Amino acid sequence: MKIAFTATGNSLDATINARFGRTEYLLCYDTETKQLEGVDNGESVNAAHGAGPLAVQKLADLGADLLVTGNGPGEKAGSLLRNLGIKVYGGAEGLRVEEALAAFEADSLKEITL
Amino acid sequence: MTEIVVISGKGGTGKTSLTAAFAALAPAELVVADCDVDAADMHLLMQPVTVHSEPFFSGQEAFIDPLRCSNCGECEAVCRFDAILDGVDGMKIDPVACEGCGYCARVCPENAIVMSDAEVGTWQHSRTRMGSPMAHARLDIGADNSGKLVTQVRTEARKLAAEYKRDLILVDGPPGVGCPVVAALSGADYVVLVTEPTVSGIHDLRRVHELVRKFRIPCGCIINKYDLNPVKTDEIKTYLLEGGIDHLADLPYDTGFTTAMTLGRTIVETDQKHLVHTVENAWESIVHYSRSERETV
Repeated sequence: MKIAFTATGNSLDATINARFGRTEYLLCYDTETKQLEGVDNGESVNAAHGAGPLAVQKLADLGADLLVTGNGPGEKAGSLLRNLGIKVYGGAEGLRVEEALAAFEADSLKEITL
Repeated sequence: MTEIVVISGKGGTGKTSLTAAFAALAPAELVVADCDVDAADMHLLMQPVTVHSEPFFSGQEAFIDPLRCSNCGECEAVCRFDAILDGVDGMKIDPVACEGCGYCARVCPENAIVMSDAEVGTWQHSRTRMGSPMAHARLDIGADNSGKLVTQVRTEARKLAAEYKRDLILVDGPPGVGCPVVAALSGADYVVLVTEPTVSGIHDLRRVHELVRKFRIPCGCIINKYDLNPVKTDEIKTYLLEGGIDHLADLPYDTGFTTAMTLGRTIVETDQKHLVHTVENAWESIVHYSRSERETV
């Protein structure tokens, strides 16, 4: 399973960003290989409009199965994620990626209804 | 750091007048951010002195190199925005009409059209007349506010808060429920909804609250001009109760607000004691709720 995170940096030490579309990095952790893959989300940060949908495209490219974030996506990105079947878990803002992963595995994050 | 965002959905509810009044109540504690950049007007009350200004780029604009252009007119034929002007001195781009789609640059057989980042305004670090640091922006005529600019202003406000050791950011949010509002809300600690007892006031309150609820950000509501329509005010109160929205204050319709505005002052800088008192109480509640609810989330 591949778990994606909205993060301020490109490592397990980075902090979870509450934002979805304009987060600095999108990280993807593969629970089978234990590998972390990160992509720079600068393209979305600099987009005037449509930052959310651009970030969804990146998640799809990463092959993410679910997303751990803060506030959750806005309307447009939310409907795209729903169509892609990517589940979203919120309320992890401020945690380190490592801690957010542990929180998800301990089932203590809330799923956001898209 | 606590970030409080004031929004209304509908325009004309008194959002900016109230945000400016709050900013005047606690100038030594906060940083002000004007993210209502479509029609930024908080500076009229804050009268800030700008200490730093940078250009803001958003989207693209086309430019025709007159040395390469052969006046074939292919660009004019494909432009959906009628932004190519066929003048006596050759083809030119109308920068106001150009949407930056790049179709013209794609079809130009001479490669004479260059797309470049469009400078659409500036963002600033300033100091309000009350002494608070302020982050704000000015857009050129015809330029759109965007999530990008809102994010920029909020980022600058955070930098100012760190630099001047303020732990409160007060954001005058953009109107509507679109991209700029999404950018203003995500990551905020508390949302203040300013509404009025009118059909469109309630309608837009519901729409914008739907977004706030989706982001699970605690929020409170100020009913401005509550005495204009008691039936609609009751309807709003029921909505607040059912939605778990903190009821922060009821403010009467009062020309004192307009009088203060024409003098370039906020309501709390006038001698309208009853209004000053209500606004002060509302601000106390906002600070209280924004801090207490953050700990329990």
